[in-house]
Amino acid sequence: MNDEMEDVLDVLLRQQFEGPVADEGFCASVIDRLPARRLRNKWPMVAGIIAGVATCWFSLWSAPVAHAGWQDWLSGEPSASAVALFIAMTSMAILALAWAIAEADDRYDPKRMIR
Amino acid sequence: MADPIGAEQVDHALVARVLLTDDRRAFEQLMRRHQGMVRAQLRRLLHGDEARADDLAQETFLLAWRKLDQFRGEARFATWLYRIAYSCFLQARRKGSSAAEDMADDAPDQRTSPRDAVELRLDVERAMRRLSATEQIVLLHVVQLGLSHDEAAYVLEMPLGTVKSHTNRGKTKLRALLADWQVTFRKEHGL
Repeated sequence: MNDEMEDVLDVLLRQQFEGPVADEGFCASVIDRLPARRLRNKWPMVAGIIAGVATCWFSLWSAPVAHAGWQDWLSGEPSASAVALFIAMTSMAILALAWAIAEADDRYDPKRMIR
Repeated sequence: MADPIGAEQVDHALVARVLLTDDRRAFEQLMRRHQGMVRAQLRRLLHGDEARADDLAQETFLLAWRKLDQFRGEARFATWLYRIAYSCFLQARRKGSSAAEDMADDAPDQRTSPRDAVELRLDVERAMRRLSATEQIVLLHVVQLGLSHDEAAYVLEMPLGTVKSHTNRGKTKLRALLADWQVTFRKEHGL
């Protein structure tokens, strides 16, 4: 009974709705006003990555642990500082990978929609 | 639209064409497919003020053109457009003077006679106007535009529970206000 009443109410409300409006030149007028699409610049991201890597490199360069670790790593000696450096770099690489995967999932890829 | 899944795929393909090749014709097609309902939504929100509704519809499509790369395909394209249109409406209402709102409130009375001659239609219109503004807006999206509760919550940026409670409250009030009509209507239509 209640569902029946709800059906009637829905029908009444839908009947009262005028439905889609006829175009009558609307689209043509909007198309005339469309501005040129701006392509998204990629340089800020590239510049950010380069600046981040450079800052990281400069700050580590003066640290003796990183320096010693790098030397040991190059000579193939698994010292504590070399292992610490290795762990730090691996963790950062894993974090970057996880972030890239999350971003890729979140992003709408128009190419996927073209068949 | 008869086949909602097919229609959605067409929309997605058109969006992809616009994004990949900057194809204005594809955007025009998208607009032709959706302008009718977006303008109807805005006319309802503005109580029949066609000129203002068309201005906002134009703003909606210009925004959609600019922000198309933000469409992630999670919602239907139509739902995404309704959301932009609704936020344009809210912005205009915030910016607009009280005079503009008064005009919008008066609008239905001015355009009653030729189109809304049927008594039932007038009664439904009057009953709708006795609901709160939020109940009217929620019922417009859920019943008249045919969105699901989830979609309406997305468009109106409201929690799902709020949408559901406004729908129920609005319908309960309408049921009471239109009780006589519902009996007649059921008999006539064999419901």
